[in-house]
Amino acid sequence: VTSFPSSSPQRYEIRVSGRLDPRWATWFDGMTLTSTDDGSTVIRGALADQAALHGILRRVRDAGLPLISITPLDDQLDTPLND
Amino acid sequence: VTGPLITTKFHAPARRPTSVPRPRLTQRLATGARLILIAAPAGFGKTSILTEWLATLDGDTAVAWVSLDERDDPENQFWAYVITALDRAVPGVGTTALDLLAAANPTEAALATLINDLDASAREIVLVLDDLHTIENPAIHAGLAFLVDGLPENVRLVIATRADPPLPLARLRALGGLLELRAADLRFTADEAAEYLNGSMGLGVGDDDVRALGERTEGWIAAIQLAALSLRGRDDAAAFIAGFAGDDRYVVDYLVEEVLQQQDDAARTFLLETSILSRLTGDLCDAVTGTTGGGGILESLDRANLFLVPLDDRREWYRYHHLFGEMLRARMLDERPERLAELHARASEWLERNGQTTEAIDHALGAGAFERAAGLILAAMRTMQQHRQEATLVQWFERLPPEVVRATPGLSIGFAGVLLSSGRTDGVEALLNDAEDAVGGNTDGILDLRRGIALYRAAQALTQGDLETASQQSATAVELALDGSDIDRGSANGLRGLVLWALGDLVAAEQSWAVSLDNLYRAGHRSDMIGGSIAMADILLARGRLRDARDVYARGLEVAAETEPVRRGAADMHIGMAEVLREQGDLEGARRHLAAAEGLGEYAGMPQARHRRRMAAAGLARTEGDPAAAIALLDDAERLYTPDFFPEVRPIAALRARLHLAAGRVADASEWARRRGVAADDELSYLREHDHITLARLLLATEQIDEASHLLARLLDAAQAGQRGGSVIELLVLTAVAQQRAGTADAALDTLRRAVALAEPEGYLAVFADEGEPMRRLLAALAKRDGTNAYLRRVQAAAGGAPRASTSGVIDPLSDRELDVLRLLGSDLGGPEIARELFISLNTLRTHTKNVYAKLSVTSRREAVRRGAELGLLAPR
Repeated sequence: VTSFPSSSPQRYEIRVSGRLDPRWATWFDGMTLTSTDDGSTVIRGALADQAALHGILRRVRDAGLPLISITPLDDQLDTPLND
Repeated sequence: VTGPLITTKFHAPARRPTSVPRPRLTQRLATGARLILIAAPAGFGKTSILTEWLATLDGDTAVAWVSLDERDDPENQFWAYVITALDRAVPGVGTTALDLLAAANPTEAALATLINDLDASAREIVLVLDDLHTIENPAIHAGLAFLVDGLPENVRLVIATRADPPLPLARLRALGGLLELRAADLRFTADEAAEYLNGSMGLGVGDDDVRALGERTEGWIAAIQLAALSLRGRDDAAAFIAGFAGDDRYVVDYLVEEVLQQQDDAARTFLLETSILSRLTGDLCDAVTGTTGGGGILESLDRANLFLVPLDDRREWYRYHHLFGEMLRARMLDERPERLAELHARASEWLERNGQTTEAIDHALGAGAFERAAGLILAAMRTMQQHRQEATLVQWFERLPPEVVRATPGLSIGFAGVLLSSGRTDGVEALLNDAEDAVGGNTDGILDLRRGIALYRAAQALTQGDLETASQQSATAVELALDGSDIDRGSANGLRGLVLWALGDLVAAEQSWAVSLDNLYRAGHRSDMIGGSIAMADILLARGRLRDARDVYARGLEVAAETEPVRRGAADMHIGMAEVLREQGDLEGARRHLAAAEGLGEYAGMPQARHRRRMAAAGLARTEGDPAAAIALLDDAERLYTPDFFPEVRPIAALRARLHLAAGRVADASEWARRRGVAADDELSYLREHDHITLARLLLATEQIDEASHLLARLLDAAQAGQRGGSVIELLVLTAVAQQRAGTADAALDTLRRAVALAEPEGYLAVFADEGEPMRRLLAALAKRDGTNAYLRRVQAAAGGAPRASTSGVIDPLSDRELDVLRLLGSDLGGPEIARELFISLNTLRTHTKNVYAKLSVTSRREAVRRGAELGLLAPR
């Protein structure tokens, strides 16, 4: 069966300024939070689609967190596409 | 006007006594820019700087304030708040716009009216949209762009937001009318921070510590305020600041934690548990926390400056400062997630008891109490639909789990109806099937449900061209509506009428529509009744009942004029009337009604009025002997064509082919026939009748007389069998022409005699006149053979060379406002009284009057009134 390439869940890394307590993970819908040495926090996790990404960015904005970068992680390329 | 509005949303938050005056910012706001954008993250003092500036305005400036939130994302809701805010600030300025909005007019119509009325008001007006970032609906942004584009000189629009709105900001900046205050402008300077910490809060913080705080917070006001709260009552200010400055935790998170640690357990729990509320009042807080004394706690939090924003002057309603609220909610979610469902459920119950249904539903959905939400939605459905809040309903339905919707037939049907009325058909069939399954064998109180299911099934089948299903289902709906309400019968019979019309059963269609219009009128659904009148009159015209069609339009015009402004659909009634009058040879009357339709503006009609008006104007141009102008008008009509539920019985392409023939462009008409795939040996049906009559005309024009005669004979049989008197007359006229061309002059005169006899009682003229020279000769021969009478003389006169387009019409149509002015010029009111009547200044009235005189080419009030009366412009709209 061939299907169009679709947007499967994609992992993202969202970097914000300031060290966030890990308890914020619930607020960010179960994504993982990692503090870095330079005083920023990396929010990592799989998001279903663009709408989910925008939802998370909205939470970043509403919590007043300065956004530094958003990077799609390409680690899903390591998994075989079909078998 | 549009559902229950929450009045605290119109309240500009009061200034805190501890606020630092910021003249460097208020001076910039006072420079008179008409569009002000205050864009910065949460906690930068956007709202505060606005309230400070507003307090400096003199009493002549009217301030309209709206605090927006996510619930205002449906377009109607948003504009209802904005226009109501303006109307509260300047009474009367939004009345008409709100009426237009409530009557389901396009938003642009309401906004265009609003802009006019704002312009006409003599007041300086400031409109503040606070928290615009909560609005994501592109339709609202488009409406805002429209408003910004037309913003009158006396209105300033202020937008406070965390995200730049999608307006053409670059262009507005270039034009110089935009003032922006952004995060960099809003940050506290070192002086302001010192003034706040030591002046307002009296903390006695040293210069170095102020600088350290400022650097750590980067002047972020909310953070400095939180720090001030933590500093209060500490003797170790310097140590606290040092600890804070040396920590890399997220500023606000750190400080909120500090503040919360200073609270006792009860206060901390109160803050966390009530953070689920978007608005707080003592009683509601008690209901949610299950304790008492909420009012007192709120008061003390307010006194302690603990990020509580009062929403009214009596300090009954509050909200948490947005950023503080988010911090509380994040903590609540992490620390006590298991409590959330119960808290939301309690909030929902309290809100329901206090009549705040929409918020009660939101909390029920938030609590996952779907049964409860379903019950509330079911009860609110009719009101929400009446107030055109379909978008909110769709959001609610989509948040309910499918099995809950499935289990309640009323919800499935409601959802289906709401989807259909917003132009969506996806999922409708499944919903209706669910409803039918759920109704099952029950017999109690299900007639309504069954009727609803049948009605929506019929509507969907009609949209999809499945006339057989549409017919069965609409018949069922009519039957089940017999014992229902007026509106039930009105809508079921209307839909039945549409289906029968599409099926070509005009006699039955007419009966259905008569029942429908009667019931719609009784039910008070006047706009729907006017809309139905268009269908009814179209059917009567096809049946050859010109006089009855004229009565229907006249009645529709009366009903449309019951309100001020006229009800939507008034333009459609004028357009229909113009067509009847043209058919009866009253070209001046037709012109007058078309001018009236145009004068009402594009928005006074149904969406279809745009193309229908041009089609009617094309018909008039054709009868006036100007097919080239008529063709251009049809091109316009085609561009503006808006389909609806009506069967397309007079396709624009075929009308244009007829005009091509009238203009001698036979090749173009042949091209139409080829493309359309219409042939003389096709099976005939009512829906294709107009195409086939056009083809017969083409055959005549290309000298294929036998083929034309044969096709005309078949068409005549079909039209007579279908009791389509209008078509019969046209076909007899064409048959007479064909017979004359075939050299059977006696037969031609016999046929024409029949046509005249049928046409006389209804006063048809154009159907003869449009045939030009051949018809003139035939009519002369008929008059010679039979002797003449008054009617035949009129037909001959009409066919004897139609006058060229008259120049007596108004070249430049009067605007709605100018028509108002003209009508009042016809009264015995003086200038100042007219100005007062229209809520405009005397100067504005003078401008309007000057324009009216110019457009009517007159120089005095008396002349203007006389000329206006001639042109039919004085009738109340």
